[in-house]
Amino acid sequence: MGGVVALFRTAGYEALPRTAAHLRVLAPWQYAVVRAVARRMVAADRAEGVLSPDEVGVAEFVDGYLVEMRPRLRRDLFRMLRYVEQLAPLGSGFAGRFTDLEPSEQDEVLVALEASRFDQLRAGFQAIKSLVMMGYYRDARTFAILGYGGPFVLDRAEPLP
Amino acid sequence: MIIRGRELTRDFENSADAVVVGTGAGGGMAVRELSRAGLKVIALEEGGYHVPADFTQREEQMIPMLFQDRGARTTADFAIRVLMGRGVGGSTIHNTNLCKRAPSEILDHWARRLGVVGCTEKDLLPVFEEVERDLSVSEIPEAQHNANNQVLARGLSALGFRGGPLRHNRVGCRESGFCELGCAYDAKQNVTKVLLPAALAANEQTVVMSDVRATRILHRGGVVTGVTGTAQNAAGDPIAKVTLKAKVVVLAASAVGSAALALASDLPDPEGQLGRGLRLHPGAAVAGFFDQRIDGFYGIPQSYECTELLDFGEKSDRRVWITTAFAHPIGAAASLPGFGAAHMTLLRRYAHMAVLTAMVHDETEGHVTLEEGDPKLHYAISAGDREQLARGLHASARILFAAGAREVVLASIPALRLTRPADVDRITTDVVGPHKLPLLSVHPMGTLRFGEDPKKSVVKSTGEHHNIRGLFVLDGSIFPTSIGVPPQISIYTFARHLATHAIERAR
Repeated sequence: MGGVVALFRTAGYEALPRTAAHLRVLAPWQYAVVRAVARRMVAADRAEGVLSPDEVGVAEFVDGYLVEMRPRLRRDLFRMLRYVEQLAPLGSGFAGRFTDLEPSEQDEVLVALEASRFDQLRAGFQAIKSLVMMGYYRDARTFAILGYGGPFVLDRAEPLP
Repeated sequence: MIIRGRELTRDFENSADAVVVGTGAGGGMAVRELSRAGLKVIALEEGGYHVPADFTQREEQMIPMLFQDRGARTTADFAIRVLMGRGVGGSTIHNTNLCKRAPSEILDHWARRLGVVGCTEKDLLPVFEEVERDLSVSEIPEAQHNANNQVLARGLSALGFRGGPLRHNRVGCRESGFCELGCAYDAKQNVTKVLLPAALAANEQTVVMSDVRATRILHRGGVVTGVTGTAQNAAGDPIAKVTLKAKVVVLAASAVGSAALALASDLPDPEGQLGRGLRLHPGAAVAGFFDQRIDGFYGIPQSYECTELLDFGEKSDRRVWITTAFAHPIGAAASLPGFGAAHMTLLRRYAHMAVLTAMVHDETEGHVTLEEGDPKLHYAISAGDREQLARGLHASARILFAAGAREVVLASIPALRLTRPADVDRITTDVVGPHKLPLLSVHPMGTLRFGEDPKKSVVKSTGEHHNIRGLFVLDGSIFPTSIGVPPQISIYTFARHLATHAIERAR
């Protein structure tokens, strides 16, 4: 019975077939969760000229980053993604999956996770946030948001200081 | 000779006078000393062998390449992120090159209270001096203090707090600011720049093997006989077995790695000491936002310190070291509180941000265990250490305001955003508990403590195991307490000092 429920709960995701075929570690439903979380974690104000996490390929980056992660750590992260998608919304009073919620509802869920009274949930939130931030701010096109000039080697034509 | 384990096409077997596991400060020094003594040495390193051209100054590339668990290592309860080196050179590749000797009070405490013999300040002084000469240690000149460090100096001056410039082991520094991601300009006078070239030049038999994870210390009848390991390809998959026979094995794989390998090797441990005594120097950061640009991401990251809250006397209630800390964009984005629009608004002030960190000279004792072959770090920060951390962060916030910060932010949950100096009193012990604030450790120590009493230690004062002849530990694992300062120069020095015993045993 549990397996049937789990199958039901991880089916029906609309990951683009082309994207799903290229995923190395994440299942399509996990990819969808990372993508949805990233859309709320970064660039939510969407000021002009600010790239979206989709444009930067945050979820694709996370998929690639996990390839060489120790299996135990990867397993912990997958558990957290499942929690975010399936149980965290219930904790915030929403009946649907995280990926089906409205943006404001998703924000409520993430705020609750960040401040959860359960240590592991707060740590899990931070782990996902770290991966998302790495996926987004690795892109030189996002450096302008920060006033950051970028690395000296490879990416800069100017002479060294 | 350097052998990249990832290029092995078949199992590798060899014998040597000594095998050194780990090539950080302790292992690198051990390799040099054993090689200079004319002994055949083979060193094993779990991570890769990298050269300055590999250091791209990109966090998403360097963090997985240079840090254990791709930068994701934490304590078992996830409360403290533990950054540890992985690769030839270990943490000396990505540390910030600070050179502060183990305080005399600590060495005195180890000698008088903890039964450590032959490692007093007097014993070690000439060794520290020699090591510092070898590594070109010098004071960081004022002209190389970046704006973030000038903030600290200015704040200390305004408050009348104790502090001053730090010493480092860089030569020809270009002040790029990317020390924590590996130096593209090879300015670090570290294991790969100084010690391994010296070892390879001194002895053509010396071999350094990267990409080999040691899996077991071999021993029989109370005598060490060698090491087994697994060579891994770039993806971390095992590709070949490595079997090395040796008269001496030197464990120098860090307080976590050395303990994990010892635990996996069924070493006799009649008193249950193996893996105990883990110290982490837990710390946390406070950010201050200024009208002017700080650009803390460029320049030498740490060149000034505050010692106002640091006193190494026994039962001291001043156990916090404050210095600067700065992260490149990914680290900063992950560390600043919140997410979404508010988070991005904070990040837009990134170039105007100065950051201080408070690190605790910890009394908490954790321990390391194995789970599914991987090390697990157990560490529950004590109430006393929490109080120290709160004091340190409180003082850091005061320093930032005294230096002219308009706002001070602590990434607690919920975030503390302070706009007036009087607000700093909101930083209390309640705010800084585990999981209430991101905590970081970069200095694991302990776990294979040295001393003469086998009931309280794993190895003798010489570094040799109490029960396994020929097995030595020459890294920060041997420290029986926290040392309260960045440990690299002390690890180099203890390895240099105790390597003489390993040499004698290997002959």
